[in-house]
Amino acid sequence: MMMTPHVRKLALTAHVISSVGWVGAVAVFLAHAVLGVTSQDVQMVRAVYLVMEPAAWLVLVPLAFASLLTGVVQSLGTTWGLFRHYWVVFKLLINVFATIVLLMYTQTLGYLADVAAQTTLSSDDLGLLRTPSVVIHSVLALLVLLVATTLAVYKPRGLTPYGRRKQHEQRTMSQE
Amino acid sequence: MDDPPTSSDTSEVSNQDSTTSTPRWVKVFGILAVVVALLFVVMLLAGGGRHGPSRHRVSDSGVYR
Repeated sequence: MMMTPHVRKLALTAHVISSVGWVGAVAVFLAHAVLGVTSQDVQMVRAVYLVMEPAAWLVLVPLAFASLLTGVVQSLGTTWGLFRHYWVVFKLLINVFATIVLLMYTQTLGYLADVAAQTTLSSDDLGLLRTPSVVIHSVLALLVLLVATTLAVYKPRGLTPYGRRKQHEQRTMSQE
Repeated sequence: MDDPPTSSDTSEVSNQDSTTSTPRWVKVFGILAVVVALLFVVMLLAGGGRHGPSRHRVSDSGVYR
């Protein structure tokens, strides 16, 4: 079902806000992760991981699902379709993949937050908190989300076989 | 996602799309996607089927896993 222009603009606005917001939130996460690895202040390192877990659940996860949902609505309600253009399919795959990895990684963030919340930290605990894992995951997440954003802006050409079939059907119908 | 193509855009894009085979960028992205998916599966299997805290515990030798 095609959306009216007003609804389409509203859906587009929601999709841009959630998607770009997700990128921004990951950038903030990266800054925190770098702080967690490099800071000499133990209290700062603790604070970083104590903030990351709730921030992941309250900001990253909602934005990821909002981006996915608004993207699907936007594509199904316009002539772009969900499986007609390769760039839309790749964006969908990136979004689903990034959301799955994010949900899995919340376990690690929860574990690190538990360690950071301990009354006393051993040198092993502190070493664990200085893991580069969060930095690596944040950089990779930022990278794939920027690829998705670039695809959305440039919209490189290419119809999927399904898209070609649909296009052929529409041409046939319009000629009749 | 952006505004859908106008009718003139659609015909222009569609004509080019329908006359060409799978674009090169799609092939490159497809290969990258397969490589990333394989790496993801290998890392999952190496981590015992989960991407959780166990992957980040310190081993006896003091080396982070």
